Amino acid sequence: MPEAIELRSLTRWYGKRRGVIDLEADVHQGEVFGFLGPNGAGKTTTIRVLLGLIRPSGGSARILGLDPWTQAPAVHRRLAHLGSDPGYLGDLDSASLLDHLGALRGLQKGAWRSLAERLDLDPRVPVKKLSRGNRQKVGVVSVFMGSEPLLVMDEPSTGLDPLMQREFLALVAEAGAEGRTVFLSSHNLPEVERACDRVAIIREGRLVKIATVAALVGDHTRSVNLVLGRPAAEGAFALSGVTVLSSTGQDVHLMVRGDVNPLLRRLGDLDVRDIAISTPDVEDLFFRYYEGTVAGSEGRVVATGGTGIHGEAAP
Amino acid sequence: MTALSFRLELRRSRILAVGLAVVVLVYGGLIAALYPILLANTAQIEDYMKLFPKGFMAAFGMTGSLADPGIFFTTYIGSFLWPIVAAIGAIVLATRPTAADAERGWADLPLATPLTRSRYLGAAILGQVVVLAALALATVGAVLAVGTLVGAGFDVTRFLAAGVVLWLFACAIAGMTSLLAVITLSRGVAAAAAGGVLIAMYLFNIVAQVQPDFAWLGDLSAFRYAGVGALIDGGTADWVGIGVLAIVAVAGWTASLVLFRRRDLLP
Repeated sequence: MPEAIELRSLTRWYGKRRGVIDLEADVHQGEVFGFLGPNGAGKTTTIRVLLGLIRPSGGSARILGLDPWTQAPAVHRRLAHLGSDPGYLGDLDSASLLDHLGALRGLQKGAWRSLAERLDLDPRVPVKKLSRGNRQKVGVVSVFMGSEPLLVMDEPSTGLDPLMQREFLALVAEAGAEGRTVFLSSHNLPEVERACDRVAIIREGRLVKIATVAALVGDHTRSVNLVLGRPAAEGAFALSGVTVLSSTGQDVHLMVRGDVNPLLRRLGDLDVRDIAISTPDVEDLFFRYYEGTVAGSEGRVVATGGTGIHGEAAP
Repeated sequence: MTALSFRLELRRSRILAVGLAVVVLVYGGLIAALYPILLANTAQIEDYMKLFPKGFMAAFGMTGSLADPGIFFTTYIGSFLWPIVAAIGAIVLATRPTAADAERGWADLPLATPLTRSRYLGAAILGQVVVLAALALATVGAVLAVGTLVGAGFDVTRFLAAGVVLWLFACAIAGMTSLLAVITLSRGVAAAAAGGVLIAMYLFNIVAQVQPDFAWLGDLSAFRYAGVGALIDGGTADWVGIGVLAIVAVAGWTASLVLFRRRDLLP
């Protein structure tokens, strides 16, 4: 069975401007895959290659074993797409737009109705008169109204209110339960954490991490916040696996990878007034990868979770 | 799927088509209504026209008596109103499916469905052909209808044939603009380039008429091939001109279809 998405050394340059460089990843059929990165990291470039809208400068991308550039119609029969900016949806009313896109995908007229009701979308209003959130609903309805095995979404929940974001996540979960593959590009980290099985983090065009969400959050990394009675001596936390994220003398924020016992022993020598130990969420990890504070994350892929990854493993 | 896209193209063209049709209907009708008055005052008008250099008048289509329907139609519509209407219609329509829709992201939607790029653009081109034909028909139709009401005695067949030439002229603009739009993928750049080419060709035609030494410039101008005066007055078609316009239109559209299949649609 081919992978839903295969990226092999995928590279795209826009002249001298970087798009993406040497992306290596597999997205398995039936999984919900998050693609995390800020604006300009290369998420949209990757999606445009997957859609066959642009060609790679090097390497390759395959969707369900097919080349999205040379076999675009066959690929497009197998995927539904939602772009990042709903401003593109035009001057038709929602019903006409959804019927048109549905017909191009071979769907019956009105295939969008139940989803529009579920998302509380008025289909008679011209799209250009809708609020940003409601335009986004049109896009969400569009992507979910078919039965394609692969859904590719770029910042899909931007502009949705919390209620609709919850509904969107429910739709993603339902798609996953039906065995459909979801490729979800986002910088909404809690959304990715809640929706995705695995996450890739892209930084300045390069993948720096691919892991299951569970592995990413729980790869023996702990966030430790200390309040000390008096400042610790310099080098007090120079321990294996311990990184000082911030220190203002008595308030210290540490990240600990692996065994916590050396740190606990060291804390016994200090005047600890308060301590909070927590598992970092994806958001914490994301920013740490972006700040380059996670060991092994500088400019190379770090594998955690052990699946679908080609790259150098973290020490 | 091509039919779906074609219908959508027509639907999206409604406002532009209706707006331009109102202009040609009102202006064409008004000019046709004035024809009997012009006929009754031909001598005075021609005396006035003699004040201007012959080449200058020819540049604006006045190569004979304004009492002749062909010269009359060329002067007021063929060399004046229609180039403006055709340029606006053709440039807006021909830049939309590729440059404009790519710029605002709309093109991503149909092109991420099983619709091929060729069918997507082909449907849009078909839409351009139909809308421009409707505008050409509205133009000659308004003149014919009002001309009949005021007893102008216009030859219906020759005017309809002139309408075909007007249509081919607009199609040539659309074909050229379509290619520019695919090359640049920028509505502004493509429209400016197409407009610049048209203005240059218009000036070439004028210079060619005014300065015999530069008569060859006229051969580079689409306006030289879009004349309908002889067709309406003498029933003689300029087959070379018709052929050139048709070739430019078909070549432009074909090249844009071929190039669009291979073009990266950048974000």
